[in-house]
Amino acid sequence: MIRINYIRQVIHLFVFLILQIPLINKFILFDKAFGFFYLGFILFLPVGLNRNLTMIIGFLSGLVIDVFSNTPGIHAAATVLITFVKDYWYSFAIGEDEEPNLSWNDLKGWGSVKFLLPLITLHHTIIFVLENNGFTEFVILMNKILLSSAYTFITVFSLSLLLAPTERK
Amino acid sequence: MRNLLNFLYRFRTFGFFLLLEAVCAWLIISYNQRVNASFLNSSNFLAANINLAASNTSDYLSLSRVNEQLLKENTFLRNELARIVLDSTHVQKDSIQQFEYIQTKVISNTFQRSQNYFTLNAGSGSGLEPGMGIISSSGVVGRIKSVSQNFATGISLLHRNLMISSSIKRSNTLCTVQWDGASPYEAELKFIPRHIPLIEGDSIVTSGYNAVFPSGIFIGTISSFELDQKDAFYQAKVKLGVDFTSLDYAYVIKNNLAVEQDSLETQTLMNE
Repeated sequence: MIRINYIRQVIHLFVFLILQIPLINKFILFDKAFGFFYLGFILFLPVGLNRNLTMIIGFLSGLVIDVFSNTPGIHAAATVLITFVKDYWYSFAIGEDEEPNLSWNDLKGWGSVKFLLPLITLHHTIIFVLENNGFTEFVILMNKILLSSAYTFITVFSLSLLLAPTERK
Repeated sequence: MRNLLNFLYRFRTFGFFLLLEAVCAWLIISYNQRVNASFLNSSNFLAANINLAASNTSDYLSLSRVNEQLLKENTFLRNELARIVLDSTHVQKDSIQQFEYIQTKVISNTFQRSQNYFTLNAGSGSGLEPGMGIISSSGVVGRIKSVSQNFATGISLLHRNLMISSSIKRSNTLCTVQWDGASPYEAELKFIPRHIPLIEGDSIVTSGYNAVFPSGIFIGTISSFELDQKDAFYQAKVKLGVDFTSLDYAYVIKNNLAVEQDSLETQTLMNE
């Protein structure tokens, strides 16, 4: 049984997911970079939590975002995939088995890049390809994916850095 | 049998994953197919109210622009009125007024995505129905996709699935306006046969050949066109009249004779 810090998860829920909702159509740079930083809530869910439960949480958060952005199913499809592969990717990229209270302190700078960036890029690729109905307008599509991934990564990275608990030694 | 159960048990997580993805796929497909698709969009009560609150807080920032827009529209309408009064023999005296305009406010809007929608602050309570056309003071904006009691979600002209029957004002040539997903300021102009001479700056207006938009509503002007040797149609672009990056107020067009017109048209089609 893993010990989860529920308060931390609730803070993540508010800072990442709830804060994203009014900003979903506003948090956009240069008309190309979309900040979907709600993904931070999903990425920082406890590693080792029951995967079915994680997927349900991912599905519901995706659906909430979908309702607000008029894309029923698109965000949910991407977040379900992310919650499915997240733990495998964590053990592959970071190496440790379980981290019930994942935070910036466990990842540090380079770990964040290794763990967060590929998953964020995967998520954005799915969203933009689904929304675009395929690979038409390829250059614009790639621009959107790359710029948005970078934008989201920077936002999630800074928010998680801000939320990181002070380390006790 | 036991093996099968074992197998299913071992892959239950993966199975659950597939199930959730299937649900998502169903949501995506059904939303794209039906007109009044689901409550899972921005016209639902909670989402629309949050959007409304967000829009109310940022309203003050755009007041001067809105003022200017309204002033322009006022001038245009006054000129139009003067022309009609002068020209009063041409005023149609219909027994019923065919088109009614319902004023709404746009409370959330996107223009950067490849399928764009917006939310209006009026719904079925004000007489809005799925399928109605939406215009603003500067041209065609889109169509209504779904409505709730107090809110409506509209498909923006900046949506690949929306095709608008239109015509070139100068030559009355029928054509179709459809967005290509590239820029929020331009759309594609399709099906202009090659024997029609085009001029950059030609006005494109709605054709009025369906029950959604009355004829003669401005869409945009031709910004560029080219004609290859082997093409049957021009490849042309329209510069849209509406600035989708700043959409504030819109009018929904209610066609009082829509049912009559549509049923007559389908009846004629079936008789053929």
